[in-house]
Amino acid sequence: MIEVKTVSKSFGDVKAVKEITFTAPDSQVTALLGANGAGKTTTLRMIYALITPQTGEILIDGINPKEEPEKARKLLGVLPDTRGLYKRLTARENIEYFGKLHGMNDADIRSRTDSLVEDLRMQEFIDRKTDGFSQGQRVKVAIARALVHDPQNIILDEPTNGLDVMSTRGVRRFLNKEKQRGKCILFSSHVMQEVAAVSDEILIVNDGTITAKGTQLELQQQTGKDNLEDAFVYIVTNGEGHE
Amino acid sequence: MNKQILTVMFKEIKDNIRDKKTVMSSIFMGAIFGPVLLVVMMNAVSGMMKDKSEKQLELHVDGMNNAKSFITFVQSQGAKVVEFSGNAKKAILNKDKEAILVIPSDFPKKFESGLPAVIQLYYDATAKGATNITQERIKALIKGYSRTIGMTRLQLRGISPSLLQAVTIEDHDVSTAESKGAKALAFLPYFLIMGLFMGSMYLAIDTMAGEKERNSLESLLLNPIKRSHLLTGKLLATISFGIVTMFATLLTFKFALPFMPFESMGISFTFGVKNIVLFAILLAPLSIMAASLQTIIATFSKSFKEAQTYVSLLIFIPMIPSLILMMVPVKEKLWMMFVPILGQNLAINQILRGEPVSMVWFIAVAVGSLIVGVLLALLAIKLYNRESLLFSD
Repeated sequence: MIEVKTVSKSFGDVKAVKEITFTAPDSQVTALLGANGAGKTTTLRMIYALITPQTGEILIDGINPKEEPEKARKLLGVLPDTRGLYKRLTARENIEYFGKLHGMNDADIRSRTDSLVEDLRMQEFIDRKTDGFSQGQRVKVAIARALVHDPQNIILDEPTNGLDVMSTRGVRRFLNKEKQRGKCILFSSHVMQEVAAVSDEILIVNDGTITAKGTQLELQQQTGKDNLEDAFVYIVTNGEGHE
Repeated sequence: MNKQILTVMFKEIKDNIRDKKTVMSSIFMGAIFGPVLLVVMMNAVSGMMKDKSEKQLELHVDGMNNAKSFITFVQSQGAKVVEFSGNAKKAILNKDKEAILVIPSDFPKKFESGLPAVIQLYYDATAKGATNITQERIKALIKGYSRTIGMTRLQLRGISPSLLQAVTIEDHDVSTAESKGAKALAFLPYFLIMGLFMGSMYLAIDTMAGEKERNSLESLLLNPIKRSHLLTGKLLATISFGIVTMFATLLTFKFALPFMPFESMGISFTFGVKNIVLFAILLAPLSIMAASLQTIIATFSKSFKEAQTYVSLLIFIPMIPSLILMMVPVKEKLWMMFVPILGQNLAINQILRGEPVSMVWFIAVAVGSLIVGVLLALLAIKLYNRESLLFSD
């Protein structure tokens, strides 16, 4: 479970995140939906302790990442916005490296990698060097690498950015399976269909704050619209509805 | 040692060994470049010197007929005389001739009346190559002729020619074959240090700027590893490449020795296992300094290319002490030994000269470089801990 309480962060004069508060519970997919620059990535980066918040507090299964960053990271699996691989290493070696950094032994890394290969359908390319991988293959390796230690909390920043339909479906199927296993999944996106398709709760982020939250249906009812996109536009434009 | 540090180190080594370009340009080029350049340089110099001092001297003379007995003398000394006519100064400036003798028409008159007769020697003292050797050989010939004639004149008047020599010089050159070797090899320390810098350069760039450029840094930082451990692992990989290159340079140098013209230069030089070990102990601490400096610069660079540009410039730093020591003779002092690079230069030169290097000095070199290296490594770690590390783009 991830708890974010009145967290803020400014870069110089720019207030990127303004007192955001929300909770992402276990066995649920929570989505941060917002336009580019709304503050999604900054919020996520504070959760995984790459940026220190200026106000407020974050708890990951009760651990404050500001105070115990290494301990918090063990509880987190993160697919960040930038997800480059080591192209001279094979997909398996990329995953192994992160497993070792998590302090796993070789046998655990092996069995976990095997099950990820199966879930994400990576059999064909797992032992190939990642140089020249397609976008979809790269994202799958990056997800496997991020989740090699089987963390309870999964954070994904725009996970299906640039993926084709098949890869997108593969990632969605995988996230659903992880949800069934009781994981807490928090992801950010600006793609409506994506958010509509996988999330249980949607948090609409605009200008550094959460302006609305609920299920897709709840958001549509709140705004009186019949689809998520219209509801989103209605919310971020304060009901004016202009693009 | 912390297991995570080793994980990072071995990953970086494996990753970079797979890049043939890195291995070629760092280890291979670093190790080969210096020794090969030394072989080429020394052979060129010794060949040129041999050529000019042993080849038959060719004299270009304007006004041969004015000094027939001089010409006969010169020819008896084995020189070849060629008639020259035209503007001597122009011919030298145009590099048509190395040196020209002009014998003025009043030469016979002065010569016969016992006055100093003038022979003009035209040459360019600043010309490249071995012009000075030719010019000195000509002067020696003329002086020899002058002395012969002078002595004959004195003898004819019944005066002992030895009266002219109030003082004679007895040469006592205490330089040894080893010290001559050290002079010829004065650039060796630079090549060794340069190899070390080249060896670690690409790893420093790849592990720092490379991580940013391929967008893998953020993912890496999300692992439960302290940044100081992460950077220590990367630094160790970088240092190991520097040390491997240093050993490769020493071995290449050993194998290049037979191709160096030591005999014809009157130099004796041995480079055994003992020297290799001594050099390695002196140089190894420098690799920490080199790797840390390169890493610090690469941390600030936004891209691989930018890092490459700045880090390459670092290679000129070790050149400074080598160049100064070649031009200015320095009396070694203890404090100099503590200065990285300068200390290595002095100590290695002492070993090359066959002088015993005191234990204290030896340790001073190693410890001095070690301290500076560790301080720079700590600075690199401090810089790596910044939050803005990720956002410098």
